[in-house]
Amino acid sequence: MKAHNKGQIRIVEAFLSGLIIFSAFAISANLTITQNSVKNDDLAAVGLQALVMLDSDGSLAKYIEDENWNGLRDALNLLLPTSVCFNLTIYDENMQQVNMDTISNGGFSSQQIAFVEYVCASQGVTFRVYIVHLLLAVVT
Amino acid sequence: MPAISIDTFFACSLMVLLVVSAMAASSMLLSPYINGVGNENIAKRYGEIAKYLLLNVGKPQDWGQKSQTIPEVFGLAKARSDIPYELDIDKVSRLNGKNQYALSYATIFSALKMSDVSFRIELNPIFEVAINLTGTHPSVNETIYQFQILTEKHGIPVQAELKGYIIARNYFEAKNVSISDGEVSLNVTLPNEVEGPALLVIIARSVCNAKIVSFGTFAFAHNSGEPEETCNFLKLSPLNYALNVSYLYPEISLLDAYALTFNYYSSLTQTANSSQSVEYGIPYFVDSSPILMAVTGLNSTSFFIEWVAYPQIPLKIGADFTESMSLSDVFAYRYIVTVNSALYECMIWLGGS
Repeated sequence: MKAHNKGQIRIVEAFLSGLIIFSAFAISANLTITQNSVKNDDLAAVGLQALVMLDSDGSLAKYIEDENWNGLRDALNLLLPTSVCFNLTIYDENMQQVNMDTISNGGFSSQQIAFVEYVCASQGVTFRVYIVHLLLAVVT
Repeated sequence: MPAISIDTFFACSLMVLLVVSAMAASSMLLSPYINGVGNENIAKRYGEIAKYLLLNVGKPQDWGQKSQTIPEVFGLAKARSDIPYELDIDKVSRLNGKNQYALSYATIFSALKMSDVSFRIELNPIFEVAINLTGTHPSVNETIYQFQILTEKHGIPVQAELKGYIIARNYFEAKNVSISDGEVSLNVTLPNEVEGPALLVIIARSVCNAKIVSFGTFAFAHNSGEPEETCNFLKLSPLNYALNVSYLYPEISLLDAYALTFNYYSSLTQTANSSQSVEYGIPYFVDSSPILMAVTGLNSTSFFIEWVAYPQIPLKIGADFTESMSLSDVFAYRYIVTVNSALYECMIWLGGS
């Protein structure tokens, strides 16, 4: 009878200690995710501001209509911080990809990638809307 | 002691040990993240303050243009602008300590009305122009100076169009536009009868976007001694499209004044003068470019050239956080801003006071 009780106590001990350790890990993991999202928000804000500045005089839509992908890449290279790499994709109003060439300044080596969606309108005679998807990451 | 008591003792000890070690490990693991959450709130607050500085026009709205006006509320945005992050050319110029009408850090600190926040603002062109004199080739009638011009952003070459101007005593020359792939060689030929020192001004415009501009200057000896540093003879203060020139020596007399942009240049005409200062009107150029102004003159008999940019950049104002003991509380924010149709990089550092 005594030996049977001892076994029960060991099982309860093991269960409790396991619970404590796992709960500590669970809390830590949740807090880590919060920290990452803040960094991505900052990066997205930087990317959005660069697109807004390019669009402020209609340059962004002009790059797209002229299919001047190299010009757009170089402009983003200048406006974004040196340590940020990007990949840009442009869609028309039917979500068909407009740029057939890659608009990027290098491969992404970071796990933290920020995403910006920006809608810009052409300032030409024919009204067109473009949806710009910008992916950003910090070079590590 | 019965065996069951020993078992219970060890089991209890083990449980206590487990709980204590789990608590210790948890606190060690969590402490940086708990601090991070606190920092996140501070970073968000400072981020909003940085935006406020650039998006708010201040009070009165035209505090930049009026040289004697001290803002009640600080803000750098241009009044009645449709473009986000467009700054007022005069408000920016009044942040530069070299401007006669510059605001002090204490004045801005009071107008910001946030006693627990110290800040630093820097405004620079998006890419740099560096000029090096690589060779001098004198001949009987003229001297050829060879310059290496670099257009770079943090060491990465930038393709740019370059416009050059050369100024010396009673001499002005505008060079043709040349293209730089990040590095280009430029030859400047000066007749030997021209008296120096001479000033080479380069205004660079990015090939990919005409609003991304930068500039550089290089003063060099030509039939003269080595040029002295700028701001040695005159205090040049551009404000509200007027250039105030204050003499730093009593025997100064002015010769010529020029305003230069990428596409245009013009001689400046005097609109007022007194014994110790002169005022020139600055033309409203329709050009996405900073306006560089060069003023030539004599100090007694020795010739000099001084220059200034309008908006008066590069500029740095505010607290020096590099010597702060609490580095962890300083947050940096980078914005692209528009001043007079050209784009610049604005860095704002914010920290606890």
